Amino acid sequence: MDRALRQLGLDESQVEIEILSQGRAGILGFGGEPARVRVHPIDTGPQPGNIREEPEPEDEDGEEDDEPQPAAIRRVHRAERGPRPDSDAVTTAAVDIVEDLLDILDIDADVNPRPPVTPGDGAGMVSAVIDIEGDDLGLLIGRRGETLASFQYVINLMLARKLHNKALVGIDVGGYRRRREESLRNLAGRMAERVRMTGQSVTLEPMPPNERRIIHIALSESPHVVTVSIGEGDARKVAITPRR
Amino acid sequence: MLKDFVEYIAKGLVDEPEQVQVTEQRHGERVNLHLQVASGDMGKVIGKNGRIAHALRNLIKVAAMQEGVRVNLEIG
Repeated sequence: MDRALRQLGLDESQVEIEILSQGRAGILGFGGEPARVRVHPIDTGPQPGNIREEPEPEDEDGEEDDEPQPAAIRRVHRAERGPRPDSDAVTTAAVDIVEDLLDILDIDADVNPRPPVTPGDGAGMVSAVIDIEGDDLGLLIGRRGETLASFQYVINLMLARKLHNKALVGIDVGGYRRRREESLRNLAGRMAERVRMTGQSVTLEPMPPNERRIIHIALSESPHVVTVSIGEGDARKVAITPRR
Repeated sequence: MLKDFVEYIAKGLVDEPEQVQVTEQRHGERVNLHLQVASGDMGKVIGKNGRIAHALRNLIKVAAMQEGVRVNLEIG
């Protein structure tokens, strides 16, 4: 809806909003559909037939994006986001913000952008990964990466505000995400093997969306097991079950 | 540093950055920060279910640790 308003160059007081459909999160991330709204400009001079339909993103922070979706659906979602901004502009703005924040914090570190490569980098979801390297940066990672997750979240909000789009960047500190991805992939492999041997399902510890996504993708081609996310919010976790 | 940190982030989140105000009160090792923004911008610093406020508090802890103080952030 925000996008519709921006396209029309109006604010909420100048339009009438009609909800066409509420949108669904879909089951396990499949078959979800965005909410549709129709935005009618009201009484701001002559504007014949200026009515558009805008899909509203069902989930701004991508919480439910952890399930790998069929390519077709993913493409549609991508297209709905509208023109992608120049990724160089996104990267430059992100590096500026990160450097400013580190500067204020009096943290001495190298900040380098690179293209995302692996699922853990958010390949296909982010336009760049900003690597922060330096001594004693554990502070920026926090317990189980919680501080790093907050850092990345806030930087992306600031970027969205600055560039008026939903382009995302990943932030990594001292290769933490790389190492975490590696250990998650190993864990996925070991647990899938256990499921195959025993025929019993295994449920992993609760994980954030990006980590669940790494597990789903790691096992997506396995002939022996399937993965689903179960539970809500912070308790959401991946279950690995035998493929039947 | 604490104040600058909160101010920088808040200004980057809101529609009316000139309305962002951060006041800082120090009592020895304890620092109370009070962040105020335009009323229309409250959601931009709090977020759905307080998610943005939670992230801000997580980040401010980093700044507090750098300074060796304990910090409390009040919003609104």
